[in-house]
Amino acid sequence: MDLTYSPEDRAFREKTRRWLDVNVPKDDAKTLDERKAWHRRLYEAGYVGMLWPKAYGGWEATPMQQAIVQDEMARAGAPPAINGLGIGFIGPTIIVHGTDWQKQRYLKTMLTAEEIWCQLYSEPNAGSDLASLTTRADDQGDHFRVNGQKIWTSSGPIADWGLLLARTDSKAPKHKGISCFLLNMRQPGVEVRPLKQITGSSLFSEVFMTDARAETRDLVGSLNQGWAIAQTTLGYERGANSLGRVTRYAIAFSQLVRATKELRRGGRPLLEDPVVRAKLGKIYAELEVQRYAALRVLSSLQKGESPGPASSITKLSYTEFEKRYFELALEILGPWGQLIAARDEFEEVDTSSGEPGTWATAFLWSRAGTIYSGSSEIQKNIIGERVLGLPKEVRADRLKA
Amino acid sequence: MDFAFSPDQQLLKNSARAFLDEHMTPAAVRLLWDDPRGESEATWKEMAQLGWLGLSLPEAYGGSALGMVESAILLEEMGRAACPGPYFPTVLAARAIEEAGSDAQKKRWLSPIATGDARATIAFLDADLDWRPDAIQTRAETTAGGWALSGRKQFVPWAHVASVLLVPAKTPDGLTLFLVDPGAAGLTLEPAQMMDPATRLASVTLEGTPVTGAAVLGKPGQAGPLLKALLSRGAVGAAAEMLGAARRCLDMAVGYAKVREQFGQPIGSFQAIRHKCAEMLLEVENSHAAVYYAAWALDAKAEDHDLAASVAKAYVGDAARRVCGEAIQVHGGIGFTWEYDLHLYVKRAKALEAMYGDADYHRELIVRRVAA
Repeated sequence: MDLTYSPEDRAFREKTRRWLDVNVPKDDAKTLDERKAWHRRLYEAGYVGMLWPKAYGGWEATPMQQAIVQDEMARAGAPPAINGLGIGFIGPTIIVHGTDWQKQRYLKTMLTAEEIWCQLYSEPNAGSDLASLTTRADDQGDHFRVNGQKIWTSSGPIADWGLLLARTDSKAPKHKGISCFLLNMRQPGVEVRPLKQITGSSLFSEVFMTDARAETRDLVGSLNQGWAIAQTTLGYERGANSLGRVTRYAIAFSQLVRATKELRRGGRPLLEDPVVRAKLGKIYAELEVQRYAALRVLSSLQKGESPGPASSITKLSYTEFEKRYFELALEILGPWGQLIAARDEFEEVDTSSGEPGTWATAFLWSRAGTIYSGSSEIQKNIIGERVLGLPKEVRADRLKA
Repeated sequence: MDFAFSPDQQLLKNSARAFLDEHMTPAAVRLLWDDPRGESEATWKEMAQLGWLGLSLPEAYGGSALGMVESAILLEEMGRAACPGPYFPTVLAARAIEEAGSDAQKKRWLSPIATGDARATIAFLDADLDWRPDAIQTRAETTAGGWALSGRKQFVPWAHVASVLLVPAKTPDGLTLFLVDPGAAGLTLEPAQMMDPATRLASVTLEGTPVTGAAVLGKPGQAGPLLKALLSRGAVGAAAEMLGAARRCLDMAVGYAKVREQFGQPIGSFQAIRHKCAEMLLEVENSHAAVYYAAWALDAKAEDHDLAASVAKAYVGDAARRVCGEAIQVHGGIGFTWEYDLHLYVKRAKALEAMYGDADYHRELIVRRVAA
């Protein structure tokens, strides 16, 4: 056991920090063109696609280096790269399951953010039970005709392409009739409608597909093998955000401490109230444990070990912590914590969500993490069945299948 | 960076597991529960032979000079076995003697501790039940022959078997640590019956108890920082033991959920049970990260080692309480019986939750460090 960073990792961190000092845009990249330009600079510096094979334009860096970059970006308040879902998840899916033609056509422009990608998985009636999806892709000989509705699509309005799960055999058992496609989002049969969230903003969309066209050459893997592809755990971005996330928590914590010094109640700063102190101590202890756990995961990834279903523990752990964190913060801060528009810089906070805002923004966003990418309940099922080896539950759809 | 145990550390863990599985079966622990001394002399001697008692002592005194990570590995296994005995109080007291003692004091105590011929303990808590060294009210007054100690110490671990007590007391120079013979005049030991029968605690009343000048450990007035450092170490050690007890409770709950059937199926197939078990695993794994980060930080003298010790004690104390409690719930009625072994581990963790500063105490220390 040795938790010191290697000299190489320390040097890499220094180099990254210097690069960010010089290159982080002074005014936040706000327009799509500005964000794409920033993404491109990150890519060219070797900070995007870090774990991708060099053959596909990646950098073959280590998981630790990737985590260090995200950590330093959090520290520097740098805008994130733009094509996160593409590079973290869709690209690796194409690398593992795609044809040579698909790799040639799509991977490079994904890395450089010339083309933005989204994921077309969830449907209004297929959330946790994703395999019950009803969007259809009917074989027309040279292409598939796609009809249906998707929801919770990140980057929907700016996406050029989507990774689509659609039903290609309605008679087969539900897990066995699904195929995976690359769908052109810029076509008449695809309509994207932004979805307003409880935060007031619209980072997600609904996507309506009406006689949309998916080319046969854009089928990923074999017909009706889409579920297996969607289940593949792809490790290219695993642990990438682990350190950066904790750094954002810590930056927000120092802002919280500052607020408890400046805000007064009962004739004294909040920080002098023992109840407030107990809550601060609880947040900080948990925040540090998140950091230790992140180091543990990274050290295992560095050795080439795959956490497998144990990564569900990580996801469950930090998303549930975020809820407790911001609940406690709002308890401490009272009505001041519920400001949804900042009146000055003091009232802004690093929300951990990628969307700038106030403590109220962060609080609202913390409700999303335990729902997306497999809700806490789904993660607990995975942990129970695949990590602890508890018996599978008797499920109505399994009885039918 | 490597968070995994080294091959040597893994070997230590495996051999501790094997030894305790053989010698500290639930039946053996129960026998010691009913034993007036509460510990086994034979096991103690074997632990000495295995090198456990001298694990972190200098080689000059028969030790192996290993670190807190190795201690935590042993303590986790002891917690997992609910192993009764003065192991941790003794090694913690040995640490104090090693840090602050004169050559004569080290010779007198460290070698006998390593060979299993002496046991020691530290009387942290005073009449006031506050873990902060500043709160200590016990006084030492100078006499012709040395000092006379007066005061009341409470919940002193394993004082009834200790060969020497480490007693902090206020002197005109400030807080000072004394090596006190438990048989000294004016000293009364009063064992307390605790919820965990494996945790033997006693009150120690000192009424002008005489000690010589040679009984001062370290410089007079300098005991405060030493006690704080020992409390950090105590917090990490207690967290390691709680981790072991909590993991045992989790393992038992999962094992039971796989075989216990109700409504025609194993109860572990119900989400109400499975989700509980998943949450327990989450807290146990996070506790592992907290314990071993803190142990490593102490060994590496990392800048945040005191903070990490408080984080570990606060987090693991809460986590172990929840995990052990939920293990009873998963078991249902059988978990509430004296006959079933689950309560050995539940009580072990509970006892340590209150020692070396509870979660509230350590959360306050954390806030002092990070919100100054």
